[in-house]
Amino acid sequence: MEPSGIFIIIPAFNENAVLRSTVSGVIPFGYTVVVVDDGSAIPAASHLEGLNVYCLRHAVNLGQGAALQTGGEFALTRGAEVIVHFDADGQHSPELIERLVEPIVTGDAHGKVEVVLGSRFLDADDRRMVPRRKRILLKTGAFVSWVFTGVWLTDAHNGFRALSCTAAGKIQLKENGFAHATEILDLLRRAKLSFKEVPVAIRYTSYSRAKGQSMFNSFNIVIDLMLRKLFK
Amino acid sequence: MTSIQGILIAGFVIAAIFAGTVFRAKLVYRLLALLLFLTATILVIFPDLTTVIAHALGVGRGADLLLYVSLITGIDVALLLYLRIRDLEQKLSRLVRDVAVRDALHIAGAAASENPRKNEVTTRL
Repeated sequence: MEPSGIFIIIPAFNENAVLRSTVSGVIPFGYTVVVVDDGSAIPAASHLEGLNVYCLRHAVNLGQGAALQTGGEFALTRGAEVIVHFDADGQHSPELIERLVEPIVTGDAHGKVEVVLGSRFLDADDRRMVPRRKRILLKTGAFVSWVFTGVWLTDAHNGFRALSCTAAGKIQLKENGFAHATEILDLLRRAKLSFKEVPVAIRYTSYSRAKGQSMFNSFNIVIDLMLRKLFK
Repeated sequence: MTSIQGILIAGFVIAAIFAGTVFRAKLVYRLLALLLFLTATILVIFPDLTTVIAHALGVGRGADLLLYVSLITGIDVALLLYLRIRDLEQKLSRLVRDVAVRDALHIAGAAASENPRKNEVTTRL
């Protein structure tokens, strides 16, 4: 598969300078990069001059889930074969994209894989990189996701994932906020899409920590999920 | 008629007129508002009626019955509004998304461009 058939969706909300370095890190691999500016105060496009990317802009801030959905829809209209969700804050390593995409392209021992989810808990070295408090939070998150979706994963709310174009067509995110990570699990189980977890390391920088989800926000996600269950 | 009855009825009249103007296009809502207005007014004029109904339902006082009914109504209204807002959010997302996809920019990379001012090449798709 041509790398250009692999679309990297990078949602960005007020990321500013770090966005450029993240995007610059991905471009050399030859992938098609789609930045979705979720209504940033300073338009993301102004940080991307001279970089070969697509830039889409939400007129108002809708949330990360909404930005990913926008990027996915755009990628499908441009003939994407694989869609990869990638964080703008530099937590994800572009070298690992290949590892996420590979099972979709070649399949695994059980056959075709439609969705690949990154996990920080499959490899001991990756796990050690996760701060202790974050570890407890993530494991709780994985448990909550299991309660709501019946999908048992080793990691939760890991934004690093790859979807085949078939899967992306079937997964329509309606959760605009951060609850989309659990919503994806719900949708992939309903659509009976085969999925797999692969180990990924997440780089915790002070920037990504500040930007990341707080304890307080986790409760918000749980409430979003409950409301979603009640009023579909 | 006591003064509180006058105040309440005046309030109901204003609310009814307001509802009648707001729900101009919806006959069902207008009729509902009218029904509510009439019930409320009758209960204000004959307050003992609420006590009779309350006793029939096993509630001690008419005022308590009114409290319970208004509590349930309040919760229902909040839920209905929540659903409406959710629906609006979905529509807003659709709109914002369609505009974003329509107005997608392709920022040309330095290497891919033949323009001497290559760092400034941006095309609208």
